[in-house]
Parts: sequence; structure tokens; C-alpha cells
Amino acid sequence: MGREEICRKGEGGTIMKFSLSSLTLNQKLAIVVGVLGFLAVFAGSPYRGFTSKIDSQELASIVEKEIDHISPEELAGWIIAGNVDYRLVDLRKEKDFAEYHIPTAENILLPTLGDGQLERGEKIILYSEGGIHSAQAWFLLKANGYKGVYILRGGLEEWKDKVLFPRLADNASPQEVAAFEKSKLVSQFFGGTPQIGGTAVAATPTMALPKLEAPSGTQPKISGPKKKKEGC
Amino acid sequence: MDMNAPFFKFGLFGDDVSLIVAFIIGIGFGFFLERAGFGSARKLCAQFYFTDLAVFKVMFTAIITAMVGLFWLSWAGLVDLSLVFVSPTYLIPQTVGGLILGAGFVIGGYCPGTSCVAAATGKLDGFVYLGGIIVGIFVFGEVFPLLSGFYESTAMGQVTIPQYFGIPYGLVVFLVVLMAIGGFAGGSWVEKKFAAKAKEAQS
Repeated sequence: MGREEICRKGEGGTIMKFSLSSLTLNQKLAIVVGVLGFLAVFAGSPYRGFTSKIDSQELASIVEKEIDHISPEELAGWIIAGNVDYRLVDLRKEKDFAEYHIPTAENILLPTLGDGQLERGEKIILYSEGGIHSAQAWFLLKANGYKGVYILRGGLEEWKDKVLFPRLADNASPQEVAAFEKSKLVSQFFGGTPQIGGTAVAATPTMALPKLEAPSGTQPKISGPKKKKEGC
Repeated sequence: MDMNAPFFKFGLFGDDVSLIVAFIIGIGFGFFLERAGFGSARKLCAQFYFTDLAVFKVMFTAIITAMVGLFWLSWAGLVDLSLVFVSPTYLIPQTVGGLILGAGFVIGGYCPGTSCVAAATGKLDGFVYLGGIIVGIFVFGEVFPLLSGFYESTAMGQVTIPQYFGIPYGLVVFLVVLMAIGGFAGGSWVEKKFAAKAKEAQS
């Protein structure tokens, strides 16, 4: 290639000759970058070249070992402690989100999950009403290379049962009573109402969801009472 | 295991290791700035008199290398371009900021990065410039509440030229490459002209 001779017409109509080897390094590099730039015009969008692969065995193992689960109590503890190293994503409809959502949550619907609002290196906790939508979203994110994706165990239902309206059974053991005392403080922190006695079959009038302090947006926010120093 | 980049975004290493990686890259950046002669305010300022356009050439070369590299690596599926951070655009505040930085560059003889290089090689003016940067950061932080309205005005979000003007990505790459090659050729021509003039003026 270097020996190849290229001919072109000079300004005065005379034929000038030069070989590639006579070019300086800068000129050669300029030619390389010029060619790469020219080819870029026909290469199409660079975004489409990215494809994701999934390791189905790894995913299965994570599911089997339940290491992708966060319990409502654990999440409540993080919120109380003021941890900011996670993104809590509420996958429910905007209307449901506006009615009630877990403090610090942001509303991202399933179809818009991959729109770049979340980053792949972040710790992401998903929740929906039960657990199905969050499990599906978990798979979508995992397949797209998001590393730290977790599911809130039992979704909002379990959050209500365990955090907002913990129930002390009639025949509770002393350990259960002690644990309930702690749950009571957590429940009150989130504006919930601890329940004593009875069964958890239906919501009682005392089980109204806490009111949100401000109109809901998509930004994370803390609703409910101010952080207490005592307690957990 | 996939070796897709950006490595940090794909969780290949965590925050702590990322600091070490940043440190190594920073050292490399500083080293090459120094080797290009950018630890000298005389060299840097020569570009404003059109007698030495090395700064323009080196910076444009870096831009072209990164742009063409990112384009083709992404095209080949080795880099997920959607994960590469694009700083949000605030048109007017950033234009004003650019002008202030440019004015500081002309007056002080350095830009922030090169002042660190100058200080690292023991240049006194580099230390003074660096001190000025630190004082400037402090003052800016203190008066930020007064400036925040302007600072956050004309927000356009994370936009790129291909997205904003709706033109193909590859075309932008090609146009910038042409601009660079034209700039290098034109720059060398201008250098020769002005260097000759400067010599005449001296003699």
C-alpha cells in the first residue's frame, strides 16, 4: 500500500506524482480519521450496536437463593436511617402512586423503565401492589445489565401488613410482644396504625393509609412524620 | 463475562476502585499535558497570538480520537453509548461560564487543568493560579444562592447535537472530522504567518 503511487492533476494541469510513504505521520493519521469519519456517515446509529445477554443460570440462582429480596422491615430501617444509596421505584399507576407511596419512592411505569432514568450501577428497589409486576421489571432490568436490582418482598401489600399496620395476635408470646413494640415505633414513624388483637382478614376503620403531605410528583420525597431520633 | 464499557456503569468495579482508576487516568492526563508543553503559560498564551496553536491541535485531536473511538466501539457493541454521561445543557449560563473561563485563560495563562500541571512541575504562576481557583470555588459556593436562578436557567436537559438537530450521528462525526482536518491545516498556515510577523516585529 505504501509503495502504491497515486496520481492527480496539479494546479497548472501538470501531472504530479507522490507516494503514501512520502506523507508525514500527521498526514497519515488525518487520512485514517478522515476515512473513519466518512464511513461513519453510512454506519447508521451507534446506539443500535449494543445488545444485552442474559446469564439464565445466574438469574435462576439469584431467584432460588432469594438474595434479590428486600424485606419491608429492612427498607423501613433504611428510610428511617436516612440512607440515600438506593432508588426506590414504585411501578404502579400514577393515580395509585398519588394516593399513597412508600416515602422516598419515585414513580416509574414499566414501559418507561429502560428510558435512562435509572443507572446500571445503582441499587434499585422495585415494588408494585403485590409482587408480579416488580418481578417482571426485575427480569427486564437484569437482562439489560442492571446489576443491583432488588424486589421489595410482597410489594405494597406486605409493606402495609408489616410496617404500616403491624398486628399483635391475641395469644402472642413475650418475644412477639417485644418485637411488636419495635414495629409500633416504626409504624408510627410512617404514619401507620399498629393493630392489637383480631385477625388480619379485612381492613378496619383504623387502617386508613397515611396521607401524603404534598402533591405527588416523580421526585423522591419523604412523606409522613419527621424523622425521630429515638426508636430503631 | 461480558466486557462491555463503560466498566463502572456495568459494575465491573465499585466506587472505591473507581477513585483509583480516576487517579491513574488523571496522572496520565497530566503527564501528557506536560509533555505537550502545556505546563508553560507562554506556550498556552501563544495560541491567542496565533503564533503556536498546539493547544488547539492537541485538544481537537483528543476530541476527534474520543469521538471516533466511541462511535466505532459503540457501533461494534463494545460500549453502550446511552450510558456515557452527557452533562446537561444550560445554554446561557454555560456560554457565560465559557467566556469567563476564556477570559481567565487569557489573563492567567492557564486553564484549570494546565494550572495543576504547572504547579506540579513547580511553576510559581501555576501555584498562584491554583490558589485563585480555590478562592474562586469558595466565593462561588458562598454566593451560589444569589446565582442559582441564573445558573439553572435555559435548561435543555441532556442533549446532543444529533438529537437536537435531528441529523444522523455519523454525519456529525464526519463533519467534526472535516472541521478538525481543516482546522489543523488552517492552523498550521496561520501559525507560520503570525510567527513570521512576530519575528519581524522583534527584529
